[in-house]
Amino acid sequence: MNQTSTPIAAETAVAETLPDALQNRLQPIGIDIRDLSLSFGATQVLKGIDLKIEPGEFFAFLGPSGSGKSTLLRAIAGFGPTPKGTIALDGQDVVGLAPWKRNVGMVFQNYALWPHMSVARNVAYGLDERRVPKRESVARVNAALELVGMRQYADRYPSQLSGGQQQRVALARTIVVEPRVLLLDEPLSNLDANLRVQMRQDLLKLQRRLGITTIFVTHDQEEANTICDRIAVMADGVVQQIGKPDDVYDNPANSFVANFLGTANVLEGHVEKAASGPVFRSAGGLELPCGDGKAGAAKLVLRPQSIAFVDGGAADGLQGRVRSAEFLGGMIRYLVDVGGEALLVDELHARGSGRRREGEAVHVRINHEQAVLIHR
Amino acid sequence: MSSAALRRPALTSSFGPYLVAGAVFLFLGAFLIIPVLKVIQVAFQDPATGSLTLVNFQDFFASTLFRQSFFNSLYVASMSVVFASAVALPLAYLTTRFNFSGSVVIQTLAFVPLIMPPFIGAVAMQLLFGSNGSLNLLLRNHFGVTLPIMEGLNGVIFVQSLHYFPFILINLSASLRNIDRSMEEAAQMLGSSGLRLFRRIVFPLAMPGYIAGASLVFVKVFDDLGTPLLLNVNTMLAPQAYLRISSVGISDPMGYVISCILILFSIFAMWVSFLGMRGKDYSTTQKGGGGLAKRDLRPYEAALCYLVVLSILAIVLAPHLGLLLLSFGTIWSFSVLPDGYTLAHYETALTSAWGFIQNTLLYAGLAGLIDIILGTAIAYVVMRTGVIGRKWLDYIAMAALAVPGVVLGIGYLRVFYSVEMPGSGQPLATWWGIIVIALAVRRLPYALRSCTAALQQISPSLEEASENLGASKFATVRRIVIPLMAGGLVAGFVTSFATAAVELSATIMLVASERDAPLAYGLYLFMQSAAGRGPGAALGIIAVIIVGLATYFSHRLIDNARRSRTDVANNGGGH
Amino acid sequence: MPTQSRNHFRKLGLGIAAVALLAASQVARAADDRLVVVTSFPSDLTDVFKTAFMKEHPSITVEVVNKGTSSGVKYLIETKDNNQSDIFWASAPDAFEVLKGQGLLASYSKEVDGIPTDLNGYPINDPEGKYLGFALSGYGMMWNTRYMEAFNVPVPKEWDDLEKAEYHGHVGLSSPSRSGTTHLTIETILQGEGWEEGWNTVKAISGNAKTITERSFGVPDGVNSGSFGIGIVIDFFGFSSKASGFPVEFAYPSVTALVPANIGVVTNAPNEGPAQKFIDFLVSEKGQALLFDPKIMRLPVNQNAYKGAPEGLPNPFDGTIKTEVQFDSEASERRYNVVNSLFDVMITYRLEDLRQATAAIQAAEKALAEAGGDNAEVKGMIEEARALVNKLPVDAEQAMDADFNAIFTVERKEADTKVEGRQAEIEQQWDTMVVENYQKARELAEQAKAKL
Repeated sequence: MNQTSTPIAAETAVAETLPDALQNRLQPIGIDIRDLSLSFGATQVLKGIDLKIEPGEFFAFLGPSGSGKSTLLRAIAGFGPTPKGTIALDGQDVVGLAPWKRNVGMVFQNYALWPHMSVARNVAYGLDERRVPKRESVARVNAALELVGMRQYADRYPSQLSGGQQQRVALARTIVVEPRVLLLDEPLSNLDANLRVQMRQDLLKLQRRLGITTIFVTHDQEEANTICDRIAVMADGVVQQIGKPDDVYDNPANSFVANFLGTANVLEGHVEKAASGPVFRSAGGLELPCGDGKAGAAKLVLRPQSIAFVDGGAADGLQGRVRSAEFLGGMIRYLVDVGGEALLVDELHARGSGRRREGEAVHVRINHEQAVLIHR
Repeated sequence: MSSAALRRPALTSSFGPYLVAGAVFLFLGAFLIIPVLKVIQVAFQDPATGSLTLVNFQDFFASTLFRQSFFNSLYVASMSVVFASAVALPLAYLTTRFNFSGSVVIQTLAFVPLIMPPFIGAVAMQLLFGSNGSLNLLLRNHFGVTLPIMEGLNGVIFVQSLHYFPFILINLSASLRNIDRSMEEAAQMLGSSGLRLFRRIVFPLAMPGYIAGASLVFVKVFDDLGTPLLLNVNTMLAPQAYLRISSVGISDPMGYVISCILILFSIFAMWVSFLGMRGKDYSTTQKGGGGLAKRDLRPYEAALCYLVVLSILAIVLAPHLGLLLLSFGTIWSFSVLPDGYTLAHYETALTSAWGFIQNTLLYAGLAGLIDIILGTAIAYVVMRTGVIGRKWLDYIAMAALAVPGVVLGIGYLRVFYSVEMPGSGQPLATWWGIIVIALAVRRLPYALRSCTAALQQISPSLEEASENLGASKFATVRRIVIPLMAGGLVAGFVTSFATAAVELSATIMLVASERDAPLAYGLYLFMQSAAGRGPGAALGIIAVIIVGLATYFSHRLIDNARRSRTDVANNGGGH
Repeated sequence: MPTQSRNHFRKLGLGIAAVALLAASQVARAADDRLVVVTSFPSDLTDVFKTAFMKEHPSITVEVVNKGTSSGVKYLIETKDNNQSDIFWASAPDAFEVLKGQGLLASYSKEVDGIPTDLNGYPINDPEGKYLGFALSGYGMMWNTRYMEAFNVPVPKEWDDLEKAEYHGHVGLSSPSRSGTTHLTIETILQGEGWEEGWNTVKAISGNAKTITERSFGVPDGVNSGSFGIGIVIDFFGFSSKASGFPVEFAYPSVTALVPANIGVVTNAPNEGPAQKFIDFLVSEKGQALLFDPKIMRLPVNQNAYKGAPEGLPNPFDGTIKTEVQFDSEASERRYNVVNSLFDVMITYRLEDLRQATAAIQAAEKALAEAGGDNAEVKGMIEEARALVNKLPVDAEQAMDADFNAIFTVERKEADTKVEGRQAEIEQQWDTMVVENYQKARELAEQAKAKL
């Protein structure tokens, strides 16, 4: 992307206050999706989605590609084949309603700015369609561009803007018409790493200021976790789990969610009743006490940070051997063979602390209270 | 890949393009520039003394008749673009925008008007739409009125629009397919729909394709002499040039002056359209996103669309319907339909025409092949290399559009008649191959447009990836570029082939013996006598069917290739 | 995608292979003893003679190259340095005159029993022996019977009939510069009625024209289709159209000329022997009888051939066709280009103006007749309008002037020929005058009508 010589961050940052022209007009609404199914020919892409999004919420659809998250977003906007089931915006079912009658704002992954119109014309487009008087239209376009910090680029053409700038224009174009819902389709995926971090903060600020119900589609759990109030993790056209990011992280409903939200050791095995209480025994033979598990086949989710090295050969440590190490900056992630299983273990990195060698014998302690048991 | 292949001298990459450009330039020089110059030099000679002068051009601009002809040509060309657009826009929009069963059939049928056989087509049009044609006979009998559709300049505009609108349709459809669907969806989400959406977003984005098609129609109509002549409209530039060049015994230089002006004006028009398109390269498809979203039609919408499409096709294909009736009819004279029907004309046509058909397939096939080779070479040199003056290759090739067939034919006779064929000792101009070259030069502009459009859609990074892996420029073009251009190449081949199959004006000068003659010439022979009208029409139908089938199968090929490509993209992509 | 495109290419490759195979077979055809005939005649005519001749001389392969008269002449001129053609075979004598002038015709003269030297003063063979006539053609009118019935138009008998208002918009003719046969028709009228009167007739007929066709065949074609009702055509167009089943009739008016259609051997013909044999065959009694083929229907030059003439075909040698005009081919040749150019400037290119002026005059005359016809002022105005339409930019004397004609036929080879004026310059002067006169005539006629 062509970054102009002027520091974009300073120049194009989101405005601190909401411009007058955009103030107090947006009424947040709720979204209620019930038993929504959708097929492309023979392939079923969405399988009975149930989902409720509160007014003013910043919500994320999180999932790998092919999970149906973009299809679901497009169904809310009215694009693609007509689904079965209901999508209620503010209590009114919109399934079958044409996209242009929904007043739902969407920012496309590729921004979809029209190359034959200037920035100002692009942003004014929706207002023209709504027959907004010229004077008011100009004020609102300026306000929207002001809001995203793009006012001075009003006369440029999209091809003359960098990716980040195009993104802001696309945002301005969408919010200027005061949609009932704001839909963001992988908005950060085409930006480089630094811009991405800044942009997601700007998005959050903007959403809070406008108070608009917002859905954010992403495959990046960090993005979803950092800015969204709640997330819906999707796979294979099914919502796997809905909740606040930390709840979902801490209590994954299944191994897919556990793996998709951050790194996890997922051990296959079963729960047995022992004298000391229920015990999880992994297929490889590792035994761990688990709080209140029923007997039977189960999986145990262990986050790498719940396992620690115990130097000096403490009695309660398990014996292991380092297989490999990965330097991640703030920490070092080791793969350690312990009791017939290969476990990922995170250790904070301090300056000059060096790292454990491959093949080195170690002792680790597993904080089994942090472990989550998933029954099949 | 061996390591030797990787150590390639730097020379090939810098000289290769010049070599290709030079070869193309030599071809165009020998078979277009020199023959044409040889003919139009008369325009610069003083008729009395033979010295170099511009006095003939002065005469041209002083003449009321020529000025009027110029404005008539301008008017007819502009109005033809307007009407051709009115026909092409709905067809292009409906077939690219909606899931429409039979889109391929429609696109093929809409191509058929381009293959209107000379002479016979005009007879069919007169019988249907003329002042005493079927339509007006019916109108007069039932309502006492007539529509002067075929009279004067209106007649020329009517026939030309129906004949050349496929150029707009083909280019516009290609452009529409290249618009990313998010462009349209973004507007829908902001409240736009229907015609407004089309006018403000879709059409402006498809503008480059539209301009390419419209400028082709403009230039073609401006330069065409067949239609005005057959409708007996003389006060236009091209017929004026032809009448003055081909009159017996008169050596009026004005015909050549007009040819010069036609060529210059056409280059000017192409240049203006080029300026108009500059900086508007909106090829917006990303990640193989597959163009405009095709929507399913509700039953009443489908009915409405079929009504629109079918009524357009009915008008557009009326000449061919007339041709069909003529070929089966016994006598068709001052009546709504022929008096009776017979198969005898086909018998007559087929017994005499087999050689013509064979020759036509050979000539038009070879010409189409030469055209896509040249077209690819020129498009590649112009768009992908830094050869100095490369734009001129494009301009020169496109100028062939404006060279009247007679001028090229006479030019070939002048230049190549004194050149002996190696081996046989025959004059080069009487060799059948020269007809092929003439056809190739005449149809090169069509193929070139298709090749350019196809190459435009291939990201240079695909080539860089190949070169990066050690493939030479040549290997890259052969193994990456050409396979990706396949759809465009087939389209270019078909356009050249189909239109060359019915071309007459240059061939009639060059045919040196009947056994070397193509089908259009056979048609011309039939159309010289009263008894030949039926067999001529039958031969015309045979020509249309052959070319139509070739077109249909090429469309199928392109469509299948595109479908498999977008399927891959859809499976790989998120949505 | 890759497999797809490969398939795709395999198919393309197959296509190329097929084309190459065709190319090979093309080369394989060899040439025998040949005869190359360049002609403007339709294959309906040439095929009959070709087949019959090749039956007689099986060793000779006849190749017919159909070019149209003007393309044929251009072709022979352009290819003269390396000539491959043996015979030029066409209707219009003036095309042969052009070729003769360029030295492109070889001498061929032969006495044949039954062929007279001239018909009513018009020589059948070129007096210099460069080309000879093989069939006679007369000019007349053909009409579409359905058309005449539908529009309730009476059948015309004489050229003058076509001047009447009732034929307005019903007539079709070709231009003398496009069609040698039309040139002869116009020249016949000019010689029969005199320069001024002749042009008056031509303009009055053309003022009733629906269209001026670009090719001679355009006229019979238009009558056959019913685009217009009456066409001025050469006889065989009428006969053959009728023979093909079209609802048309043909008749000679009393003033007409019979002119021969011709054949000649090209200078330096590569196959001169076969060429002579072909002409011998063509003028023999046997060959001449072939002209009665229903698709051809031309009048033989050999009197003996008329024994087998079909019913209804006139015999010019027994006075069935009245030819009151003694055709002066020398005069015709001298003003050839001036007549062509005048016709195009006054009629072809300004047909719309002429038609409107003619219609206005006809309307005024009709109004006058209805009003009793004795308004002298109106009568005078109408006459004045007609005089304006008829006004000629060139008088009879100037039209015959050699220097003036030279403007239209400059041959730049002789650099010392000094010519005053250029064709475009002259034509522009004519055009200005003609357009202005037609405009004035129309206004005058409209004023005259308004006075009634």
